[in-house]
Amino acid sequence: MPFVLYHWINALAMLFLTLSGLYIHYPVFPGFMGTARGVHFFWMFTLIINLIVRIVLAFFVKSAVMPSTREQDIDYKNWLPQEANRHQFIAWIKYYTFFKKEHPISAKYAGPQKMSYLITVPLTFFAAYTGFALWGPTSDWAFFAAGTRFFADLFGAGIGGGNLMGIRIVHYWTMWAILLFTAVHAYLANIYNFDPSRMIFLWKENDKGH
Amino acid sequence: MAQKDLGFYDQLEARGVTRRDFLKFCGTMTAILGLSEGMAPAIASAVEGAAGSSLFPAVWMDGGLCTGCTESVAQVTKPDIATILLDILSLNYMETISMSQGEHAEEALHETATHNEGKFVLVYEGSVMTGLDGNLLRVAEKTSLESLKEIGSKAAAIIAVGSCAVDGGWVRSVPSVKADGYPQEPEAWATGVSQYLASQNINTPVINLPCCPVNPEWVVAMIIDAVMLGGIDADGKVTAAFASKLDEEGRPKSIYGQTIHDNCPRRGHFENGEFVYKFGSPEEAAGYCLYPVGCKGPQTKTNCPVVRWNDKASWCVESGAPCIGCGNFNWVDENAPFLGRFRNIGLGMKKPVNPAAAATVVGGVAVAALAAHGFGMKAAGRIGAGAPMEKMKDWDRKHGASKKGGDK
Repeated sequence: MPFVLYHWINALAMLFLTLSGLYIHYPVFPGFMGTARGVHFFWMFTLIINLIVRIVLAFFVKSAVMPSTREQDIDYKNWLPQEANRHQFIAWIKYYTFFKKEHPISAKYAGPQKMSYLITVPLTFFAAYTGFALWGPTSDWAFFAAGTRFFADLFGAGIGGGNLMGIRIVHYWTMWAILLFTAVHAYLANIYNFDPSRMIFLWKENDKGH
Repeated sequence: MAQKDLGFYDQLEARGVTRRDFLKFCGTMTAILGLSEGMAPAIASAVEGAAGSSLFPAVWMDGGLCTGCTESVAQVTKPDIATILLDILSLNYMETISMSQGEHAEEALHETATHNEGKFVLVYEGSVMTGLDGNLLRVAEKTSLESLKEIGSKAAAIIAVGSCAVDGGWVRSVPSVKADGYPQEPEAWATGVSQYLASQNINTPVINLPCCPVNPEWVVAMIIDAVMLGGIDADGKVTAAFASKLDEEGRPKSIYGQTIHDNCPRRGHFENGEFVYKFGSPEEAAGYCLYPVGCKGPQTKTNCPVVRWNDKASWCVESGAPCIGCGNFNWVDENAPFLGRFRNIGLGMKKPVNPAAAATVVGGVAVAALAAHGFGMKAAGRIGAGAPMEKMKDWDRKHGASKKGGDK
């Protein structure tokens, strides 16, 4: 249930944020700007709250340490590097690139998988941060203005500060980074079989199990 | 230039400015300076007291410029109150419109600087032309760099008027310096006053008033605030109260604190999604929002919609043109094309990157890579049941399974 809900919220948030973001960049048809901005803010807050709830839950719920086991551990430990799975990064890269035939024996998540999942956390927060730096009511807050100044300086905008163009473009690129992750994530999750999708979209578990 | 034999209000009357006009102007100044309306009489008496007393002389120097800021301030067709006040406030030297010429003008400049060291204001218009060792601009046998260092180090404060004086403006913009054989770094060609003085270890405070051109009312507001209302004390030091009114880039927050978008009279059309997509269209005639035709109001922070231009006659968006973001830093490079949404999403790259091209490349590579990988998965027979599980972890096989961290 949390798995399904979390994925639905994220998927809808990404869909609406991307579409409304593109509309805000260029209003391809008239009559929608106020709505698009409203949609963008609503799903931004939803996505952030969803992420924060997920992070908090990671410290409370338990999840299986690896497939086909009843052994459980606090969830966040399954995300961080685990002692039992050290030295496996290369093995995983070899496996993904077909240099290794056999599936490595590993934990709930593979090494590269952990890394890419973990990186979505700062990435999402970063998207929100750059967004807040662009948003009128918060763009003057010293915390966000510092980012504006940093990117303006970094990309050569004279004496920098207050110029929103740099951070605006960075905001666009974070969208691409998140979409790229999603593409790879959806691919790898479904390439063996469609069990995860069946669960998310049809609410059906594969009763054969693993 | 001031007519010192006449009283202050007589001088104003002689130029067609009534006392009422003047007091209204002082009211505007309170708004620009973020003061209450009740401060208007204080400003009026400060200006009146300062006028012609040569207590607060100012000199206006030019760097690499188009004299657009001078035009803006001089307003030859209908001089506004701000201009006249600048004149009355013993503006002792101004290259473009000064009556005196040659040695006399130079004498006025150097006498003002020498006799009032630390107690006069330097208004600097135009970029600091650093290219070719400063020989791009020579006045009175000196490079403009030498003159700026000499006069700038003596001034109580420098007001950098216009984008060129603030950060090099369009003079430092990229297209003019990216040709072969020219310096590749814009800073090697032209820069702003504050950056140049910092590089020369001169720490005269600089008030930055970016915009192309500058609004004359901002200049007068700064002179009133910095000099007459005690922003700079008798020792030529900037007071903490005045410094707190400036942001980190030396711009007065009251002028550069909000975006044009925040105060735009067309903002309602923006929220309604009523846009001008083409000039000459019925939407343009209806006065709809100019965002799709390139308005940079959302990322440009000036109070143009409030103060307006040409003696409050109008301003860009009100007269039907999108904001081109001239109050931004590095505004030419950051805001071109002026009549379209910004389409370059390359960051710090020399060649512009089109978003559609970026989307095609990034998305295409990802899809192609995943598709190729998918065929690989099919070929390797991993689809469905997955790859056979290894019997033992590679690491354990090499190091012996009994070690800590081995398979369970």
